[in-house]
Amino acid sequence: MLVDYPGPWTFLLGRLDAREIPLQNPILLWTFVLVSVGAVAVIGAVTYYGSWGYLWREWLTSLDHKRIGVMYCLLGVAMMFRGFIDGVMMRTQQLMAVGPKSPGYMGALHGYLPPYHFGQIYSAHGTIMILFAITPILVGIMNIIVPLQIGARDMAYPYLNAMSFWLTAAATGLVMISLFVGDFSHAGWVGLSPLTELAYSPGVGVDYWSWAVQIGGVGTTLASINIIATIIKMRAPGMSWTRMPIFCWTALSASVVGLSSFPVLTAAVALLSLDRYAGTHFFTPGLGGNLMLYTDLFWIWGHPEVYYVVLPAFGILSEIIPTFSEKPLFGYVTMAAASIAIGGVSWSVWLHHFFTMGAGPGVNAFFSIASMLVGIPTGVKVFNWAFTLYRGRVRFDVPMLWALGALVLLLTGGLTGMMLAMPAINYTVHNSVFVVAHFHNMLNVVGFACFGAINYWFPKVFGFRLDERTGKLAFWFFSAGTVVLFGSMYALGFMGMPRRMDYIPFTSWRPLLMGEEAGILLFLVASYYFVKQLFVSIRDRAKNRVTASDAWGTSRSLEWLTHSPVPFYNFAVQPHINSRDEWAWRREHGLGHVRPDRYEDIHLPDNTPLPVMLGACAFALGFGLVWRMYWLAASGLVGIVVLVIARSFQDGPGHTVPGARIRQMEASYAAAPGEVGAARDPVGGVAAWQTASAPRPRAGDGRPARP
Amino acid sequence: MALRKGRALGRLGAALLLFLTGCAQKAYWLVHPKGAIARTEWHTTVLDVAVMGGVVLVAGGLVAVFLWRYRVGNRSRTYDPTFTASLVIEILVWGVPLLVVGYLSYFSVKSVLATNPYDPLAMRGALARQGRNGEAFARRADPAMTSALAPAMRAPRPLRVEVITTDWQWVFIYPKEGIATVDELVVPVRTPVKFDLTSATVVNDFFIPELVGEIDVMPGMRTKQAMIAGRTGVYHGYSDDYSGGGFSWMGFSTRVVDHARFEKWVRRVRAARDQLSFARFSRIARPTINLAQRVSHFSEVQKGLFDHVIGRVMAGRVYRTPLAMTENMTKPMNVRMIK
Repeated sequence: MLVDYPGPWTFLLGRLDAREIPLQNPILLWTFVLVSVGAVAVIGAVTYYGSWGYLWREWLTSLDHKRIGVMYCLLGVAMMFRGFIDGVMMRTQQLMAVGPKSPGYMGALHGYLPPYHFGQIYSAHGTIMILFAITPILVGIMNIIVPLQIGARDMAYPYLNAMSFWLTAAATGLVMISLFVGDFSHAGWVGLSPLTELAYSPGVGVDYWSWAVQIGGVGTTLASINIIATIIKMRAPGMSWTRMPIFCWTALSASVVGLSSFPVLTAAVALLSLDRYAGTHFFTPGLGGNLMLYTDLFWIWGHPEVYYVVLPAFGILSEIIPTFSEKPLFGYVTMAAASIAIGGVSWSVWLHHFFTMGAGPGVNAFFSIASMLVGIPTGVKVFNWAFTLYRGRVRFDVPMLWALGALVLLLTGGLTGMMLAMPAINYTVHNSVFVVAHFHNMLNVVGFACFGAINYWFPKVFGFRLDERTGKLAFWFFSAGTVVLFGSMYALGFMGMPRRMDYIPFTSWRPLLMGEEAGILLFLVASYYFVKQLFVSIRDRAKNRVTASDAWGTSRSLEWLTHSPVPFYNFAVQPHINSRDEWAWRREHGLGHVRPDRYEDIHLPDNTPLPVMLGACAFALGFGLVWRMYWLAASGLVGIVVLVIARSFQDGPGHTVPGARIRQMEASYAAAPGEVGAARDPVGGVAAWQTASAPRPRAGDGRPARP
Repeated sequence: MALRKGRALGRLGAALLLFLTGCAQKAYWLVHPKGAIARTEWHTTVLDVAVMGGVVLVAGGLVAVFLWRYRVGNRSRTYDPTFTASLVIEILVWGVPLLVVGYLSYFSVKSVLATNPYDPLAMRGALARQGRNGEAFARRADPAMTSALAPAMRAPRPLRVEVITTDWQWVFIYPKEGIATVDELVVPVRTPVKFDLTSATVVNDFFIPELVGEIDVMPGMRTKQAMIAGRTGVYHGYSDDYSGGGFSWMGFSTRVVDHARFEKWVRRVRAARDQLSFARFSRIARPTINLAQRVSHFSEVQKGLFDHVIGRVMAGRVYRTPLAMTENMTKPMNVRMIK
């Protein structure tokens, strides 16, 4: 072997043996039991209802951008709960382990988590929340909304879209399985170098992290390509650049940022993997390696990644605020310009993540000013949103509440961001919980926007609104939790508390740690209400059903023109765009309900199981590499290559839905708006998709149908 | 609805008040700096928060007023959906942030130079002030300027300290004095202290919140820091960058003492039995958690040990973390612990 690592190795199982399954740890054991019971229940239910075929045909193999988007969002929300539980565990450990007299349980000297277990939990929390929760949710929302807003039938590359999703899912699977087989990285979501090197992390934890990040990174890069191509090439006739909704502008800017930065992450982590597998010395302290090289590369991705998630969030706010102010967005042109500007500046600020590395004052001053520049377009956005409210008719529906909450958080996050951008201040709070409070503040802007988007676009996707009362409760508890938790954390920053501590040496920090715990309990209540909101809404879906295409009555952009839920073909005929806010324009000109006089055949791609299989192969590749089961890794790699080649030979350009059938379906929508198929299916509005689903491809399909 | 919003704002206000009153407590180390550099850093913080706070209050105030005035229940409002662009407002919304950023940039550059770890101008300022004060004091007490008070006027000679982090302890070497300690830093008051820092293993961050901001401590590399303590006392120092399982225990006490006591302390350390060679250092550098924060003294240090450690690390010396330790999730750390 090229590198020395401790522990046994066998050909069949690599580094894996029975002892790597942490059954002796009660926390993991009970998690494992719970997850197993849950999995058995889900599998049992699916089998009982005989839904395997439905799941496989309509979801897992689907190339429909809306379904892929929904799967992205489900994955993201599920992972958000996992990451949240990690957060609860961390806060509880920190509260329990204060001072040398605090007792220890379950093998820990203080609290209930030994240091390396705590290290894994905070690393998993960060990795999951950023890469496998927020990113998938936003990619999912972009997936659903961007094609609808520009009047496209699907993404530019539907197959690539499914592939991106399944690669992300495979990476998520790797993170999840690390709970029960082996362990996860303890070196932070940033992969602190050289702590990630084999000498300091000899176990498989860092490998789990690095392969998950690499596979997920490829998925997100491909998703960015897809969104850029879709926005540039697939806009409906009449939709010039200046008529494009701001959400699409931010999605475009974010995707350019994503496309240019995610490969850097993949490359940086790949070099780290070479260090760990091939014995190279890219980032080792000695023998010619340079660990700051890793830090630079990581943040050259890491900072743009922040904008990759913040920009779509800004786009969401720019959609929600005008709708509930009954006014077009103020300063459209500058909003678009600001979106691009934020993306542009994002490439030149990465060094502010390590002002303390001892660079000269010139370097630090340059990156300080560059970082502050971000404040200008962001400030512009805030003021423009404020003036969108001016002389409007402001309604406080649930999406609007989330949007306004995000706005308030953006202000405080901006304030502390400007503090961190100043090296002299940064020296005192870098790597302290102040930084943690700041970026949680900013990522909560994104989180609030995501919750707003889920509430806002839910009726468009599923055909019924989410429950208002539980939604508002979730919002208020979440907001209170944010204030209490991150207020305490900011204050702890002024006390000088470092981040990532599993044992708190100073008892003076205890009161604020209790504040943090109180905040996280409020989050717990909020997540209860969020789940309850979903449950109540699905239960009462008949009551909450949306009969009009426009669920809010005052929506503005193109996605509200088509039915709710959106049929698989999006628009019966491709709309012609006349205005910046097309739906509002049609509504105001009395054209809202004009039906097309002619229906044309619609050409759509066939479903294919190849992306799922690709995902499975990627998972096998990752898992095989983590445990150094080289036969498994090789099989996974060969599988990927074979599948890619097989796809290129596949003679399936898709199928055509005849115009007559479209007419028929449109007529049924008109007869019973929003009611189609609702009674037949246990899963709410999804039903409407099922009945209105694409016909399965038959022999002979794929050729243009005869008129 | 508005009532709820009001209540939420009230809650926010209460939290803010709580925070501000909390700042009066001593526990807010950054708020109560005891050295020139930390003080400059805190002053920069105050200035930045004041300026940005103004902008945030204006923006937040605009949002709040508009929400209140143009809420759907308000009958006296004007509704004008055509108000979607205004050149004046555009110029203002781009111009004001631009001016603010320009203003803050100026202060950023100024404060970067003032707190530059390699040559902080704030320290020169403090020394000059100290010199002036000392002179004034000396003249008042003794207009003839006899020799007894002269040292108060002279700029004190900087103390040099070399800092090496291991997994997970701090080794402080005083090269001029030829002594070393583990997990204890003693410096004379009102004297510039110049640090050279490196790590034997992974990256740490050197931080004494009340005295000086952070600087990375990196293996195979040398960083520098400088500080000057204005008041005697005991201050907490620790690593601020996660470095593995013992990171939370990686603290050291910083004692700032007057000159006479410092000399006495140096003499005491010189009397210690232990000596610090590279071999001895290598034993210290094995993964160890200093649970009880026990201090060790070394009466003699191998010449050039600091550079030797950097050289060895660059040549590939690693102090490995055992697998059993990093995989451990159920037992107390399987590691050497000093209790």
